[in-house]
Amino acid sequence: MTGVFEMEVEAWIGIGVAIVMFWGIASWALVRTLRQEDRKVELVGRQKRLDTYSPAALDDLREFIENNPEDPYVEDAREKYNRCVENLREIEEYYYDWTDAEVDSLESL
Amino acid sequence: MSEAKVSRAEWGTRFGFLMAMIGAMVGVGNIWRFPFVTGENGGGAFILAFLILLFLLAVPGLIAEVALGRYAGKGVIGSIREAVGSGGLVGLGLVVVLVNFALMTYYAPLIGWTLYYMLHSFLFTFTGSGFEAGAFLDAFFANPAMMIAMHTVVVAMMAGVLYAGISNGVERVVTFAVPALVIALAAMAVRAVTLPGAGEGLAFTFTVQWEYLTFSDTWIAALGQALFSTGLGWGIAITVGSYLREYDDVPLGGGVFTAIGEASIGILAAFAIFPLVFAYGLEPDAGAGLAFVSLVQVFPEMPGGALWAILFFTGFFLAALTSGIVITEVLTTTVEEETPMNRGQTVLAVCGLIWLFGLPSAYSVEFLDFADLVFANWGLPLATLCIIVAIGWFFGPERLRVLSVNQNAGIYVGSFWNPIVKYVIPAVMIFIMGFFAWENFGEDIMIAGMAVLVTFPVVGYLIMRYLEGPSQPRDAVGPAGGDD
Repeated sequence: MTGVFEMEVEAWIGIGVAIVMFWGIASWALVRTLRQEDRKVELVGRQKRLDTYSPAALDDLREFIENNPEDPYVEDAREKYNRCVENLREIEEYYYDWTDAEVDSLESL
Repeated sequence: MSEAKVSRAEWGTRFGFLMAMIGAMVGVGNIWRFPFVTGENGGGAFILAFLILLFLLAVPGLIAEVALGRYAGKGVIGSIREAVGSGGLVGLGLVVVLVNFALMTYYAPLIGWTLYYMLHSFLFTFTGSGFEAGAFLDAFFANPAMMIAMHTVVVAMMAGVLYAGISNGVERVVTFAVPALVIALAAMAVRAVTLPGAGEGLAFTFTVQWEYLTFSDTWIAALGQALFSTGLGWGIAITVGSYLREYDDVPLGGGVFTAIGEASIGILAAFAIFPLVFAYGLEPDAGAGLAFVSLVQVFPEMPGGALWAILFFTGFFLAALTSGIVITEVLTTTVEEETPMNRGQTVLAVCGLIWLFGLPSAYSVEFLDFADLVFANWGLPLATLCIIVAIGWFFGPERLRVLSVNQNAGIYVGSFWNPIVKYVIPAVMIFIMGFFAWENFGEDIMIAGMAVLVTFPVVGYLIMRYLEGPSQPRDAVGPAGGDD
């Protein structure tokens, strides 16, 4: 009978990959998303609002609005964009990694 | 419209949302199927292929589903309507609802089996003198009254949880049940890997056989596991996502955590079960029989076997029950939104119909097996195709990405995601349905599967065409913004 400590190295590699790539990633994602939640709750509690898009995501949203002016969803997109810009101007602490210079350069659409 | 219908429920906590996703996706297949499929297909090599396909297909697909549900704030039919406009094409959503309903008619009786075994584990039946596992299962199958009674109790339990609502019912149960399942499996795993001979089971499951990465069978098995075990495209993620709160993230929790976390429970099950299987010389390919016959024979031989039996069957039951509850929530949410009924009436109607149409599967194991094969091979891929086509070809992945996926997101999703949703996942679903048809060509289940593939979309289209009138696409000016 093969005991756990008598297994070949290929089995240990497989076990290591499985633990790291599944439980490792799942644990990372769980901890990260719960910490993000705590941070959001703290910021909303203090500031009543949040920046709703990261710099890259807000840039994508602006491009979508500019490139698709006839899109049936463009008004909703504009509303989301402007709301994020307005929030960024009014809050003191950002959730995403915005700089003050980036926020100053934003314009409502 | 009643007040209750105006205000929409929300998950009370982030943890509740995450556990609802995991609770829905982790089912009995994670426990009896995943470890064996892994061992049969190259162990660590299969795990690598599975992981690649999870990130390539399941994570992007789940992100798309949750994001549409969050954006629409509606159940399956309402979300599909948001994507395709009104009219017959909303029938794509009805197809998903019908497939979920069909799934629950045979899954509820199956949960009944796990309930029966859990109850007997508490009665110490499996460790009693003269106990015969095979005879015990045969006696259960030969007793339709008992199987129908278990089916009835399960449906009543699900109805009770669903009646209590999203936050007070579903969330309360999953936040207890999913961690309890993990703890039960972890405790079993600790015991199992310390048994003499445990190394053979671990070696069978995890030994890396790199040559398997060059075999098409390995990738097809990994594909099936990645698609079916994550519940991609069954409407679960749309429904669970529709109850997200304003500032909630979609891609990290709804995509990465759900897909990888769900698979992690399969990995844990491998640690818990396969060392036992090999340590006691059981057949690893026994499928459902592994849980209901083979393992049951092991418990009397283990020190403290009665306790391990309780742990195993409680975890097994919780895995099955939480899936059943959340899948039935898919039906409940949609029916409540699309009819004048309130939640209580809807729960009663949905669960009543599941009970009624579940009687054949509760009565006959052969009928249950047949229904399972037909819907697992063709019904569920059809549902996935309906949802992904609605998102990829009607709503448009780029629209969804900028409007919902990346809003309040925990990770940024780039435009590489668009062609995966629009082209790759639909192509894979068509391939897998064709592959199953080729594998079962001319057999009864293939004919029944083809009947599902044809009748469900036609019935869905005609019913929604009748109810909503001619198609009125929301996108009247072309798909510019939705294209990738």
